[in-house]
Amino acid sequence: MPDPSIQRDAALFAPIAQTGRGFYFTLVVLGIAILWGAVAYWTQFEHGLGVTGLQQPVSWGFYVTNFVFFIGISHAGTLISAILRLSKAEWRRPITRMAEVITVMVLFIGAGQILVDLGRPDRMLNVLLYGRYQSPLLWDATSISAYLFASTIYLYLPLIPDIAILRDHLGKHRFLYAVLAMGWTGTERQQKILNRAIAILAIMVIPIAISVHTVVSFVFSMTIQPAWHSSIFGPYFVAGAIFSGIAALIVAMAIIRRIHRLQAYLKPVHFRYLGYLLLVMTLLWFYLTFAEYLTGYYGNEPEEMKVFWSKFTGPFWPTFWAMVALNFVIPMAFLVRLQHHAVGKTVAASVCIVAGMWLERFNIIVPTLSNPRLPFPVATYWPTWIEWGETAGSFGLFILFYVLFVKFFPIISIWEIREGREVGLKEVEERLLTYLPDATEPEPARRHTKVPT
Amino acid sequence: MNGRPSPFDRAVRACQWAIASLTLVFITSIVLWIAHLIRTAWRLGDVPSASIGISLVAIPVFLTLLGVGLSVFWGLLRGGDRR
Repeated sequence: MPDPSIQRDAALFAPIAQTGRGFYFTLVVLGIAILWGAVAYWTQFEHGLGVTGLQQPVSWGFYVTNFVFFIGISHAGTLISAILRLSKAEWRRPITRMAEVITVMVLFIGAGQILVDLGRPDRMLNVLLYGRYQSPLLWDATSISAYLFASTIYLYLPLIPDIAILRDHLGKHRFLYAVLAMGWTGTERQQKILNRAIAILAIMVIPIAISVHTVVSFVFSMTIQPAWHSSIFGPYFVAGAIFSGIAALIVAMAIIRRIHRLQAYLKPVHFRYLGYLLLVMTLLWFYLTFAEYLTGYYGNEPEEMKVFWSKFTGPFWPTFWAMVALNFVIPMAFLVRLQHHAVGKTVAASVCIVAGMWLERFNIIVPTLSNPRLPFPVATYWPTWIEWGETAGSFGLFILFYVLFVKFFPIISIWEIREGREVGLKEVEERLLTYLPDATEPEPARRHTKVPT
Repeated sequence: MNGRPSPFDRAVRACQWAIASLTLVFITSIVLWIAHLIRTAWRLGDVPSASIGISLVAIPVFLTLLGVGLSVFWGLLRGGDRR
């Protein structure tokens, strides 16, 4: 790669150009988790859902918890990336693609949980043939399909100039890159088309993303089950999704930064800014949780109180209080001061939040089903190795998809980094001047950003 | 830059058209599925207003996304010659 512009960002090509032993070791570890998941699923497929801990009245357990969790994590990407793009946050450049990849990967995994939860996947055909749009489950299917399609395009379009760079300079997988580059040569016309499409999608994906998790919450809140029938479930789920999404993004950034030695691109300042966002979301999550539980407690409705006490002091107290500690108490301790050790603190808080948000989804679903409004006997849910295996397999599959993406495509947008160097600095200065008093606002810039090839 | 495209270029172009076609088929299938659900609800008198209401939002969203995708596909292929 004699081109100096390529050499300058050689670290971004290294994960694609070179394959170390660590890559194969990761594949083996992930393969074991995925194999466990496959054996678990096959056992369930052969013998039916009876081999799981799912029963009446707790018919939703780990699978639906995973579904809500993964769909929530998907808000890492497209939503955060779109907001940062539209608000012209310049620090976004090295992190947007990582976020967008998380979105697309987890949406596949999340949607797959429903297929697993069905027990018999052939029943999916009934949804296609006889689905009823009165059911929030079908609203879910529609909005998740739209989000998946929008997120895939939103990931792909900003990837095109980078794929063209790989096509022209990498020397391997040339056919793959030539196909996906869509004939990109970096002409002004192509740049105009691409920038316009990215801008349109950035605006479109925000309401789509919000609709997705709102509709996921409707699956619960449209029922009259105790502790589910709540009008704030929509915003509560959306806030929780963004919260867990930012945390997942920080964890992914830290791992990639360390493994691929990208410290020059993913600096403490990126972690610090995301840490501030995470702090705001921690407080928002606590506020919404407090409002939700206080409203239920104050109403003192008997069925609702059974669920309430089962979480506070009953059989679900360990998961409930672990959730509070992991989502609020510990992150607050880490995130209030980020001037020093920003990377370590935000990563520690994020790991806690990812685990805490999985518990939050579990605490929403299982305690309510264990104490149903209908006269079922009260039950407790214990997952079997089948659910543990499927969960391990799902996480393994998500990480595998991510690792393979990093192996084939730049996980940090090369052209956006170059654009930042060549155009962004001047543009920020000009924009800053327009914010200040006594500065005249220039004509709206017809910005045809030069995308380096 | 003159003459016939090489077999490599032809194969690349064929794959690109296949991707665009698959995208078109995918979105068309979703739109047809939604239309099928409306028709079923209408035929059974099963609150068709719900299906129509949702489809009024969903179908334009899918079509807009398809439009953006295909316009980029077409624009990039057509606009790549003049550098």
